[in-house]
Amino acid sequence: MRTRREVLQGLIVSIGGASALTACGGVANVLSTRPGSAPRFYTSAEHALVTRISDLIIPRTETPGAVDANVPGYMDGLMTDWANSETKNAHRTALRQIKSELDKLARGNFLDASDSVAGHSLAAFDAAAFEQNGDASGYKRMKGYVSQSFFATEEGATEELKWVAVPGRWDPSVEISS
Amino acid sequence: MADFDAIVVGSGMSGGMSAKELTERGLKVLVLERGPEIIPERDYVDNLAPWESPNLDNVAQDEIAEHYPKQYGGVAYAIKESNKNFWVKDDEHPYEEAEGTSYDWLRGYHTGGRSIMWSRQVYRLSNLDFNANKTDGYGIDWPIRYEELEPWYEKVETFIGIAGSAEGLPQLPDSVFQPAFELTDAEKALKANVETTFPERNVIPARIAHLTDATEEQQSLGRTNCQVRNRCHFGCSFKAYFSSLNATLPAAEKTGNLTMVHNAIVSSIEYDAETNRVTGVRIVDAETNEKRLYTSKVIFLNASTIASAMILLQSKSEAFPTGLVNRSDQVGRNLMDHVSGAGAAGMISGFENQKVFGRRPSGGIYIPRYANLNGQDKPYLRGFGFQGGSSPVGNAGGQIPGIGRDFKEAHKNPGPWRINMLAFGEQLPNPENRVTLHTSKRDRWGNPLALLNVTYSDNERTMQAEAIKDAVAMLEAAGCTDIVTNDASLSKPGNRIHEMGAARMGHDPASSVLNHWCQAHDVPNLFITDGSFMASSACQNPSLTYMAFSARAAHYAADLIADGTI
Repeated sequence: MRTRREVLQGLIVSIGGASALTACGGVANVLSTRPGSAPRFYTSAEHALVTRISDLIIPRTETPGAVDANVPGYMDGLMTDWANSETKNAHRTALRQIKSELDKLARGNFLDASDSVAGHSLAAFDAAAFEQNGDASGYKRMKGYVSQSFFATEEGATEELKWVAVPGRWDPSVEISS
Repeated sequence: MADFDAIVVGSGMSGGMSAKELTERGLKVLVLERGPEIIPERDYVDNLAPWESPNLDNVAQDEIAEHYPKQYGGVAYAIKESNKNFWVKDDEHPYEEAEGTSYDWLRGYHTGGRSIMWSRQVYRLSNLDFNANKTDGYGIDWPIRYEELEPWYEKVETFIGIAGSAEGLPQLPDSVFQPAFELTDAEKALKANVETTFPERNVIPARIAHLTDATEEQQSLGRTNCQVRNRCHFGCSFKAYFSSLNATLPAAEKTGNLTMVHNAIVSSIEYDAETNRVTGVRIVDAETNEKRLYTSKVIFLNASTIASAMILLQSKSEAFPTGLVNRSDQVGRNLMDHVSGAGAAGMISGFENQKVFGRRPSGGIYIPRYANLNGQDKPYLRGFGFQGGSSPVGNAGGQIPGIGRDFKEAHKNPGPWRINMLAFGEQLPNPENRVTLHTSKRDRWGNPLALLNVTYSDNERTMQAEAIKDAVAMLEAAGCTDIVTNDASLSKPGNRIHEMGAARMGHDPASSVLNHWCQAHDVPNLFITDGSFMASSACQNPSLTYMAFSARAAHYAADLIADGTI
């Protein structure tokens, strides 16, 4: 069996990933799906939704974003290899509910909406979720997957968190420069 | 002619120390470990980067349900995909719980036992603890006081290495320290406010078994200073935190007097009624089921208190029909742990422009016991300490509002800060809290399953309820907001992984198993220096005390061998 690193080295992002990789200087990506193959857990529609939401939650800025780091592929791996049937079903149900609500906010198919409309729709949905309007646990859980997956990638860990393998010292009080 | 001078059953925290001290006295020692060998260079997984572990390093949920329901349920924070082999599979090592009770027996079977997965907080006991049973009448009087143990604490601490600060607190004597991990500014603010508002309380750096100024002796064992990675549950390639695998076993190995046998599950201890001596240990090989007998002049039981009690109970003879050295009927009784679950957390402002560098291992702060220090002044007996710390919230694993650039960069500006604290309280000794042998169920090697029957008393419940109030009051004194408490339930017995007391020491052979040397009252060449000897639990993390007693007992046993007494 190939190691995870060996798998990753042979992969490219299936949705928008190739151009993203080029744009970001070929950062190493963490994938859980084979190159060119369909997601193992998500349907195409689900994968598209997860990709769009991930990109809006953690966009590419001066540093790689969630799609650059193949967070959708990571989440596909999580659902395939880690989640039990209860978690899978809950996630799938949550995606349906999220899509339905985002379609309403976007006044049409969220996936076809412009960047501006999609961004405003998800921002409104996110704000409502954290104001505890109704049961937002499915979305919050998904947002947790996106965030944790991103910061577990090499890009997220090293470029955003400034994670270093061996800090070598403890400084309990570091001023953050503006 | 015995095969060895001494046999040590168990290679964990106390077994490693027993083996080190016995071998350094020139004795030929056999250490029996029931699990497989761990080789740090091969088996530690501390050097994996986050992106080198699949699925956020989570163990698959179906695998947890099948193999780790108890272990994972107890310490989910410590069991990951990459280190799951450090924990037993519940289906391979089952135990039973008495009806209406629940117990977390959380274990690792391999070289070093749980010393490679522990949380490394180390605190001395004081005479407040050694006097406790005599003072309030619960349990039996400890047959020893602090002054007798103090030099052994010093000896052990000098060897293992402890980062901490001298505070001069009578209820928590200072250890031999290497430099402490400095408190964060938020913790310093908590300290200032708490100590002003509650003069009897102290907020101090957690005392942890990590090297911060390695001695020549420690370096000679290949140990270096802590690199502040907080990867301790995965082993430590720098050998910066103490474990028997990182320190005591290598020291024993250096003497040339150590023999280690793995996969050796002890079935019973042989006893010779004519000489009134234990003579050997019967084992079954975990892999081959081969049965073997090893003989020695002296035996140290360091299997951990539940397992040690079971070995005694399994070792029946005409002289000891209810189990070896069990004339007092105290073997298996008075099983204790620390009670926890009470705690609180709150947000503290003023530090938004600060972050930390490095990942501080184990705890940040410790609030030593302050209850009932000078007489009974609380609605419960004895007391508790708080463990806790502070950290910036960051994006809280995605659980904050917002999307886009601001959300992404929340980690770069990680404030605000949260402070948390969790109580670790004393559990009163109670002879009805016990482990017995299951009457019919056996494991795959033919040994009886443990039947655990442990419940908390009103004292533990009252103590934890009061601890929550105290935690909230301290956070309020520090100006914290959004304070939340985790008062839903107490930790399960066993969950703190500080089980102890099942072969207690005491003055009287009629009511205790061991004397003040951890030597069996009834059989002079049998010593038990894991947590079994504890006559009360105190509220401090106990491993340091196990090791101090182990070193002391080992030297006493070596003296007895030298003068021909045993």
